[in-house]
Amino acid sequence: MFLYYLRLSALSYRRNPILSSLMVMAVAIGVGAYMVIFTLNFVMGGDPIPQKSDQLFHVQLDSGNPNTQDDPPKQLTYLDATALIQANSAYRETATSKISGILEPEGDGIRPFSIVGRGAFADFFPMFNTPFLYGDGWDQSADRDLQQVAVLTKELNERLFGGADSTGETVRLHGNNFQIVGVLDDWAPVPKFYDINNGAFDGSEEIFIPWNLIIPLDFPRNGNTNCWKTPEAGPDGFLNSECVWIQYWVELRSGDDEAEYLQFLNNYAAQQKEFGRFPREMNNALFNVEEWLMKEEVLPNETKILSALAAMLLAVCLLNTIGLLLSKFLGKSGEIGVRQALGAHKGSLFLQHVIEAGFIGLLGGILGLAIAAAGLEGVKVLLGDNLMITDWIHLNPTVVAITLVLAVLATIFAGFYPIWRACSINPAIHLKTQ
Amino acid sequence: MLEMKNVRKVFRTDMVETCALDEFSLTVDQGEFVTITGPSGCGKTTFLNIAGLLETHTSGQYLLDGVDVSQLRDYARAKLRNQKIGFIFQSFNLMPDLNLFDNIDVPLRYRGMKSAERKERVDKALDSVGLFARKKHVPAQLSGGQQQRVAIARALVGEPLFLLADEPTGNLDSNTAKGVMALLEEINDSGTTIIMVTHDQSLAEQSKRNIHILDGRISNNTEQTQQKAAAAA
Amino acid sequence: MEIGPILRALSRNKLGVILISLQIAFTMTVMVNAVFIINERSKLMARPSGLDEPNTFYLSSTGFGDQFNSQVTERDDLELLRNTPGVIDATPTNAIPISGSGSSDGLRIENDPTLPATPAAVYFTDEHSVNTMNLTLIAGENFSASDMTYQSSNERRYYRKAIVTLALAEKLFPEEGLAAVGKSFYRDQAPVQIVGIVERLQAPWPNSFFVEQAMLVPLNFTDATSTYLIRTEPGQRDRLMVEIEETLAGNNPDRIIRGLKSLQETREESYRLDSSMATILLVVIVTLVFITSMGIVGLAVFGINRRRKQIGTRRALGATQLQILRYFMLENFFVSGVGVSIGAVLTIAFSIALSSLFEMPTMDWYYTPIGMLLLIAIGQIAVLGPSARAAQIQPAIATRSI
Repeated sequence: MFLYYLRLSALSYRRNPILSSLMVMAVAIGVGAYMVIFTLNFVMGGDPIPQKSDQLFHVQLDSGNPNTQDDPPKQLTYLDATALIQANSAYRETATSKISGILEPEGDGIRPFSIVGRGAFADFFPMFNTPFLYGDGWDQSADRDLQQVAVLTKELNERLFGGADSTGETVRLHGNNFQIVGVLDDWAPVPKFYDINNGAFDGSEEIFIPWNLIIPLDFPRNGNTNCWKTPEAGPDGFLNSECVWIQYWVELRSGDDEAEYLQFLNNYAAQQKEFGRFPREMNNALFNVEEWLMKEEVLPNETKILSALAAMLLAVCLLNTIGLLLSKFLGKSGEIGVRQALGAHKGSLFLQHVIEAGFIGLLGGILGLAIAAAGLEGVKVLLGDNLMITDWIHLNPTVVAITLVLAVLATIFAGFYPIWRACSINPAIHLKTQ
Repeated sequence: MLEMKNVRKVFRTDMVETCALDEFSLTVDQGEFVTITGPSGCGKTTFLNIAGLLETHTSGQYLLDGVDVSQLRDYARAKLRNQKIGFIFQSFNLMPDLNLFDNIDVPLRYRGMKSAERKERVDKALDSVGLFARKKHVPAQLSGGQQQRVAIARALVGEPLFLLADEPTGNLDSNTAKGVMALLEEINDSGTTIIMVTHDQSLAEQSKRNIHILDGRISNNTEQTQQKAAAAA
Repeated sequence: MEIGPILRALSRNKLGVILISLQIAFTMTVMVNAVFIINERSKLMARPSGLDEPNTFYLSSTGFGDQFNSQVTERDDLELLRNTPGVIDATPTNAIPISGSGSSDGLRIENDPTLPATPAAVYFTDEHSVNTMNLTLIAGENFSASDMTYQSSNERRYYRKAIVTLALAEKLFPEEGLAAVGKSFYRDQAPVQIVGIVERLQAPWPNSFFVEQAMLVPLNFTDATSTYLIRTEPGQRDRLMVEIEETLAGNNPDRIIRGLKSLQETREESYRLDSSMATILLVVIVTLVFITSMGIVGLAVFGINRRRKQIGTRRALGATQLQILRYFMLENFFVSGVGVSIGAVLTIAFSIALSSLFEMPTMDWYYTPIGMLLLIAIGQIAVLGPSARAAQIQPAIATRSI
């Protein structure tokens, strides 16, 4: 019977092609526009590391300016980051900062080029589940012994070694040789939760080196640096300053660990207060990935406003569809009457028209996918290629499925009243010629 | 087979109750060919709608094949329409976008019949009205008489207890009308009961029995057994 | 007039009225708020940076290896740039206006770190900056070459002179106006003298609340990376961008040239979200107006077809074509009226929600009435075609049976 009704739907479409096409178009535009915004939100507001987002915590120590009332700084000072690393009180932990440097490839083939990298600890890789194409991250001994080792991204490995297994090779970065221990596979969490203050939708850095080398090798810092107090003069002035420039993440395995670690941070802060630091009231914080993304409001206001507007656009399109379905189904009263005379009961008529509405919805959904795809291409063009998310803006299977289901259900929903009206007309009226 | 006792139909939507059925009683037996006549719009159509289970009556009793249909709900009424009644309308009421085969197929679909059996029955029905060769055509490609033949085939395909015909020749020229009437008589001869509403007095006179309705009541109920009975004998 | 009959007929078709008026209401809500957002964004984008943007570009030089001497390289580069035909002037700088990346400092008029500070963007540059940036010095004077100091960027920064924007001067010394020249403010507990005031120069962050508060400081970093801002004669920019990049990249093997960009490109990138938003909203508005018009046309045609016989009868009874046309136009007017009334409430509610949730300015009062009039006009235009068709219906239809 389902297929029969589907065939009737197709025939009915052909009977009023203009009215039916208008409906399909209304559904397509409404659903298509909604899905463009939905996809943006889906990509930008997704959980970047669902397996562990409740075990990874962003550390904030309130070393801030006593003359202001704002939140604790989002990054740590050099003093605090090194102290936490030394204390080694979490299951896994890493201090991490963005750096830059000139990379000098061997041979004359490629000219030296400037590159953005990241200093991290050995735990960085297992903590964030980074996938490896070749080799692996470095050992903790490399952190301790200041070994000059590096992990490359897939892209950089392509560029330097044509994609071959480069572990064991060396690269010259910022005037120093680094031995490659691993090459990452594609890895670009969206949002880039581990460093959202330097751009939540930026791409991954291209090379990773032990964080402990940043200072001894005098790497230029590439990320955000905030100082509420000017560093003292002298070579160690900056290191001993209240300037924050280091992100700190810990992996904890249970709720008890979280409370314990926060207590550890508070104890540390209390101890620092005795040295005259941490002039504000105690306000240290641990946020897991989801809480942190929420708190930092990584989703731009624009997408939230657009979500509301897109929902209204969808509503307008559905109101439109209700009106058009009403015209269409009331125009079918004669057929409905004949079918009743031939033995159709109300249930089967209702089903027939629900399927007809669903059929229109499905066509609308398919056309809506095209509109959504075109819309997303348009958004990509508008945003340009400097935002990494453009790589992620496309119709993934989830979005495709949601679009079709939304289109079908919304049209059927819009059809309920028109169908009910059309089916509750006394059939006798329409059987007699006037 | 069809038995109405004191059936009343009151229309509440309009202030006036001019053309409803009033204390209407009628029995139709298996194999009869009954014509219903009466002045324009005076209970004929209401009778047809009630007899065909398209409308409910206000009071009284209506037994169809021994079953009291007064209290039945839509689902059961639809089932009865599908299995026991065949409709023929003045304006044919074929589905414009279904071909002949699919048009005749409709009642069998609602009966939930298997595809092979449906095909066999529809082909047979088409053949019986002489339109088998045109089964892929749509109604608009046929003449009025041909369309009415299709409608008759559709009414017959489910092998109903009786046919309800509402001015079946009203939209046809007289020659074609004769052909359609001949077909209906043939059907009646093979045992199917026919109840036909008409305002054509000559058609009424041809039938075995004529019921005349006036203001919702039967004013005249004549048996015209002569020619047909003779023919049967 | 036929207002009474129209309203009575409408009251018997409540669903049609509800469907169309809700569409109009939602369309109006989206349209008016979207237009407001577009206007706000355009205002933001229209603010001048103060620079000669069409004729300005910049690039960076980063040295590597032991042989590289950044100070010598920078001196030679600047000399070369300033002597290149077509170049008006060039200056080293740590930050580029509008680019989104730069430095800021907190300034106070008294030497007390517990007092609130006035934030200002700092451009570490030299005495050529005023000319290169095409700034208008409205008071005081430019730096001289002898004012320049050189430091590593990691050191504690010292500077004693600054050229500030008028906006910054007024913020620091509200009553003084141009007389702020010669006065000093404190940064990092040391005094800095205002030697000049420029009319306008934006900070590097277009969305910052202190975007007009900026200053130039005669200090240059000795780090391996130097960024040069270059202003060319009109029409020379594109040619010089290519030539200068080639020249600089070729004349020193120990450095690379990167980040070549015109200020126009930088502006486009920095305001990309704003301009994208404006474009998307425009598409949304056009789509919505289209859909709603189609809805109005669709339901009007349906309503007219249903009433063909009635219309014919009216014509037969002596209604003129104009009266038929007017009937349907008026009918639409009333439905639109209901729609824009609901729409006005929704529009204002949505705008209040936007301004409270997203710290957006509140909408000016006149947006709502203009939106109402516009939607009524759109409705009338949409219904014009179907109404004209209705007016063409022949009176003879009344006597036909079908």
